[in-house]
Amino acid sequence: MTQDSQAVGQTTVKQKSSIKTKIQRFGTALSGMIMPNIAAIIAWGLVTALFLVPGGWLPNAQIAKLINPMLHYLLPLLIGYVGGRMVYEERGAVVGAIATTGVIVGADVPMFLGAMIMGPFGGWCMKQFDRLFSDKIRTGFEMIYQNFSAGIIGMVLAIIGQFIVNPLVVGGSNIAAQGVSWIISAHLLPLANIFIEPAKVLFLNNAVGNGILVPLGIQQVGQAGKSILFLLESNPGPGLGILLAFCLYGKGSSKSSAPGAVIIQFLGGIHEIYFPYILMKPLLIVPAILAGISGTFTFQLLGAGLKAAASPGSIISILLMTPKGSYIANLAGILVATIVSFILSAIILKRDKSLGGDLETKQAEMQQMKAESKGLTNNNNGLSASTDIKKIIFACDAGMGSSAMGASLLRDKLKKAGITTVPVTNVAVRDLKPEPNLLVVTQKELTDRATEKTPAAIHVSVGNFMNSSRYDEIVQMLKQNVNKANSDSVSEEPAENISGLFSQIDFARVKKISFVSGDENVGSTTMAVSSFNDELKLAQKNLTANQTSLANVQDSPDQLLITTTAMVEQLKRHVSQAQIVAVDDLLKDKNLKNLIFHLE
Amino acid sequence: MKLDKKMIKLNQHFDTKEDAIRAAGQLLVDNGCVEPGYVNSMLERNKELSTYIGNFIAIPHGIDEGKKYIEKTGISVIQVPEGIEFGENHDDHKVVTVVFGIAGVNNEHLNVLSQIALFCRKVENVAKLADAQSEQEVIDLLKEVEE
Repeated sequence: MTQDSQAVGQTTVKQKSSIKTKIQRFGTALSGMIMPNIAAIIAWGLVTALFLVPGGWLPNAQIAKLINPMLHYLLPLLIGYVGGRMVYEERGAVVGAIATTGVIVGADVPMFLGAMIMGPFGGWCMKQFDRLFSDKIRTGFEMIYQNFSAGIIGMVLAIIGQFIVNPLVVGGSNIAAQGVSWIISAHLLPLANIFIEPAKVLFLNNAVGNGILVPLGIQQVGQAGKSILFLLESNPGPGLGILLAFCLYGKGSSKSSAPGAVIIQFLGGIHEIYFPYILMKPLLIVPAILAGISGTFTFQLLGAGLKAAASPGSIISILLMTPKGSYIANLAGILVATIVSFILSAIILKRDKSLGGDLETKQAEMQQMKAESKGLTNNNNGLSASTDIKKIIFACDAGMGSSAMGASLLRDKLKKAGITTVPVTNVAVRDLKPEPNLLVVTQKELTDRATEKTPAAIHVSVGNFMNSSRYDEIVQMLKQNVNKANSDSVSEEPAENISGLFSQIDFARVKKISFVSGDENVGSTTMAVSSFNDELKLAQKNLTANQTSLANVQDSPDQLLITTTAMVEQLKRHVSQAQIVAVDDLLKDKNLKNLIFHLE
Repeated sequence: MKLDKKMIKLNQHFDTKEDAIRAAGQLLVDNGCVEPGYVNSMLERNKELSTYIGNFIAIPHGIDEGKKYIEKTGISVIQVPEGIEFGENHDDHKVVTVVFGIAGVNNEHLNVLSQIALFCRKVENVAKLADAQSEQEVIDLLKEVEE
């Protein structure tokens, strides 16, 4: 059980998926690590654009001290943290961040790629470790286990990262750098973008730009007064085209966030802002490369160049660095790159309706629309069979009690029904987060709050967490989803013919009903009386049953005594006038229900 | 975590549901699971939203703000053979025979809670708890569901 409840972070649900959706999912996972950290990237980008010495708008050496630590530590650590969290919640996040430290230390390049590897890997290691050991921990040692296991795994991963992953990533960016410098020496300049664009998207743009292009460019400026090399990486065209395509043909949040990104990228020169859009839809790297190549080709053809490095790569700083006579050439290259990138990206975006991060929400919407068109609504009035549920969350006020119990029950029911792919967890309502293909179960009173938090989810409200028929509905629905044709419908047992039991009873004279309990079944008798009275009320009888002990039994002709078969002989010794009904189980015996219909 | 004999009280009688909740809370306090402030948090939670969960069971626990009073995870069990009314008003009958007081941090209580849920899903099992004659019997009953 502990294991199940700890698998909260499990977001991937095993199912058949085509290679295409797998790639999309990979892209979604990558952008999932970047997107939550966009604010940090913007913070870093703004500091760089404003205060970098030299090159910023308001150069300030003191503030500029922020730039390197933010780029080299803050951003990779955040990415590693979020990456770990995607795999295994808080514990995965912490281990992911520790592991990421290993690849950061000692590397000259910002370790975004390394963080994207180590973060999820750290979370995964922690998850596997917990799966093996968390059950075996003795009571009282949970905290020690949790902290030390995560600490030790994090330490080991950080060391591994330092010695293995770090050299790999550094090697990778060296290859990109060497590729670029080789292409330059071979005078195939436009092809340099084959290396530059992917390197940029993996946040190696500064390594390529400042590491190779700028030093070579400075040499050329010394000889020719300007250099085209400064334009290769700083050309905002490829990114701008992609973002413009998202503005027009994107979906959901990627569309609505794109215009802001255009401003930050094109005017602010913070290219990092468009990398997540490519990571979300990796095929877009092709337009980026082709646009880079055409842009560079145009630059070369028209003899473009800059006096010095344009950093950040904003259109404004490019124009400021453009020597007299090169304005048209420079602008033409940027324009060509933008147009090529926009057209190709637009084709890709339009052709592929299901789009990266919004892919799954989109699918959920589709399912919902389908369900609604069939006349099935998901809001409480019956569950749609076509809804594709991937996760079930029970939500209650504090996430401490009732929801946990409900989750256990449903989990058990699902297990018995052979459905193991749908995780059932519980949280406090305020911690509910929108997720695709989610089903949320709440108590009636909290359903509104839960719906506010997760409007897209299917909401099921229950009055009673312990025996809600809705659980069976959910199980049935999921079963149909899993394509288990042999759904065993629970057939109602036919009511037994029990008239024999009451044949001796004269119901006409019954005015009072008492349940007689012995010393050892007071509790269950209390429950039986309560259930019996509920039934009486439902049947609109004007009688109420009460409870009495053997010693206090009232003996009168209008009294009906209900007791257990174990007690009946004893009871008979106490009474002479009252009528007696004895059943094996006061609570469960169906005969008692039937008895009610015989009453006046 | 496991249930502790010290955390189980059999054969209790109460006049109001608030008394029952207080008793479940006091047991948590006496065993060092929570500070006394938690009991008020339990009462508050029950006022906001009944902790009656069906099948003659109530699981009083604190609201979110009450979590600060929790020192360690614990579950107390109060058996009320004669029953206590957890309904909101006179027409609302929700008789409770077993009260589980809950203080949970870090989800340590979930496996016990899940055992309770699986066991109490069958009302005849709740009847067994309501009729239990010793603390050990309660513990043994709840153990049954372990697979």
